[in-house]
Amino acid sequence: MGRKGKSMKPPIRLLMSAGLILFATLNVFAGDVKVIANSTVKADTISARDLKNVFLLQRKTLDDGSAVVPVLAKSGATHESFLRMYLDRGSEEIHTYYQGLVFTGKGLMPKELNSDADVVEYVAKTKGAIGYVSGSTKIEGVKILTVVSEKRSQERVLLTRVEPDYPETLQRLGIVGTVRLRLTISRKGEVESVAVVGGNPILAEAAGKAVKQWVYSPSPTQTSLEVTIPFDIHR
Amino acid sequence: MHHRIVESALICLLAVQICSAQEFKVWDRTVQVHGFASQGFVYTDRNNWLTMNSSQVSGAMTDMGLNMSSQLTDKFRVGAQIYDRNLGELGQWHPSLDWAVADYRFNNWLGIRAGKGKTTLGLYNDSQDLDSLHVFALLPQSVYPTDLRDTMIAHAGGDVYGNVPLRHHLGEVSYTAYAGHRSDSIYSGYPYLVTNSQVYFRSMGGLQYGGDLRWNTPVTGLMIGASRMNEEITGRGTFVNPLNPSAGLVPYEISSTSYWTNGYYGEYIAHGLRIDAEYRRHFSRQPYVAGTEVEIDTRAWYVSGAYRIRKHIEVGSYYSHYTVTNVVGGPLGSLFPSQTETDLPQNHVYDKVAAARIDLNRYTYVKLEGHFINGYGVGTYPDGFYPQQNPQGFRTNTNALVIKTGFHF
Repeated sequence: MGRKGKSMKPPIRLLMSAGLILFATLNVFAGDVKVIANSTVKADTISARDLKNVFLLQRKTLDDGSAVVPVLAKSGATHESFLRMYLDRGSEEIHTYYQGLVFTGKGLMPKELNSDADVVEYVAKTKGAIGYVSGSTKIEGVKILTVVSEKRSQERVLLTRVEPDYPETLQRLGIVGTVRLRLTISRKGEVESVAVVGGNPILAEAAGKAVKQWVYSPSPTQTSLEVTIPFDIHR
Repeated sequence: MHHRIVESALICLLAVQICSAQEFKVWDRTVQVHGFASQGFVYTDRNNWLTMNSSQVSGAMTDMGLNMSSQLTDKFRVGAQIYDRNLGELGQWHPSLDWAVADYRFNNWLGIRAGKGKTTLGLYNDSQDLDSLHVFALLPQSVYPTDLRDTMIAHAGGDVYGNVPLRHHLGEVSYTAYAGHRSDSIYSGYPYLVTNSQVYFRSMGGLQYGGDLRWNTPVTGLMIGASRMNEEITGRGTFVNPLNPSAGLVPYEISSTSYWTNGYYGEYIAHGLRIDAEYRRHFSRQPYVAGTEVEIDTRAWYVSGAYRIRKHIEVGSYYSHYTVTNVVGGPLGSLFPSQTETDLPQNHVYDKVAAARIDLNRYTYVKLEGHFINGYGVGTYPDGFYPQQNPQGFRTNTNALVIKTGFHF
């Protein structure tokens, strides 16, 4: 069940769009929130700006043409973390925002569900659904979206991504976690060096081996950026 | 007074009961049902305000709405809302179709809405009457006069709208362009004001078109925008001609020759803090009497701040600034004194406000708000203070206390 290293080349159209944004950090941060999507969503990554616009109902499709529909939790720590992290709002504020759309005839109230399990189940069966759950939630039948945040100082697009091997011993013991790495990217786009910022050392070693094979788009200058890689036995 | 309190309590109880029943299915399509209601109580220490007998404490401040909407396909949505209110002598419990739209979203940057839609103008024009959305019981009255709610709030016609991301991390732009027919309620502030001059409108409205452009800047939470609206307004009814009162009521029609609004605004939201600032200029030119024309020029701005100090408590404050000038032109224009000195209390309304909102639960809230008002701005256009409720004349300063409660589901 270990994730074997393989090369993944995102569609050109996605890359073109992704070129507009600046990569700095990959996927989930504080609060270990996973952003999940229905399998009809073609993209594997979503920019933080697009994610925000999807949940603010300002965006109905992603750059690859996938129609998307946001799904929210009704309450809870993961819900609050997600809203603060990606929408810059609290739960009361986002509820008020949706009311504004509903009562002015400019939108509908998005689906709200009681638990992470309900969110996973709904996202799995609903075309285009995008939701969020806590990092420890068992994921089945949905894909995890990597959220890419923007940084003005850097502009690199990930052209080739190699998934890390999940060490069998850790996988057997059910050890999961998130590894944070700081990469130095050459002007040509090769990963020149990798420094571990945080996470289990064994998982970090596996992650480091993989990211050294990553290739980014060229840039006039050498770039440093931080990535976060989740290891999840349920995936 | 007491029956209104009991009424409010019953409405809240009813709200809690129906909060769980907001969806049903029709032909396998989910239909959402949402509604809101609010009840306010106002006390003023001097002038009566907003057509209420507020110096004696008034509870004549009630509104409610109910809507149904459904997403028929990924891109196509329909819905409608009815609205009813009573504010002093305005509204008078005559329900209206607030909006009824069919909305088709082709893609992120292009959507169209057809039907009767709320007009996008500035930060809150389309949501000014939705009490549950705001910290303040009364939005800054300089820019969002509640007694003139229906003059700009909706149009029957169409909107084109969308969001366009900008390259080079410059944020994104949202736009709305619209055209349609504005139809005022005859139970609104302006028709009510002019009854004092024995003018009785049966209808008022006309073409309304314009646009709004807002830029979500690269600075997280900062948005700035600008709006423009043009209108061609005609009012029809009867009046008693002051030059020939013995003829009694005779037909009357008035049409604007120039009628436009410009707005500029900004909003910053971060970590429970919301700061708004808005400037609006409204200009109209219309026939007056005996071949003269009157130009009414109102300029309004406000700055407001609100902060959520606890999960269920939000406090806020604003300063609202309103001035109005009237200039009468034409051959006999010199017979009518112009009102251009905005320092005079009859030509301005300055309002300092402090407010608190407590969310009792997800669906109900209570607001407490103090107003410290200078000026009463009485002229040919309503500004919250009406001679009908102040027959003894106006005092320069008015302090007001507003308590409001409401629910939504």
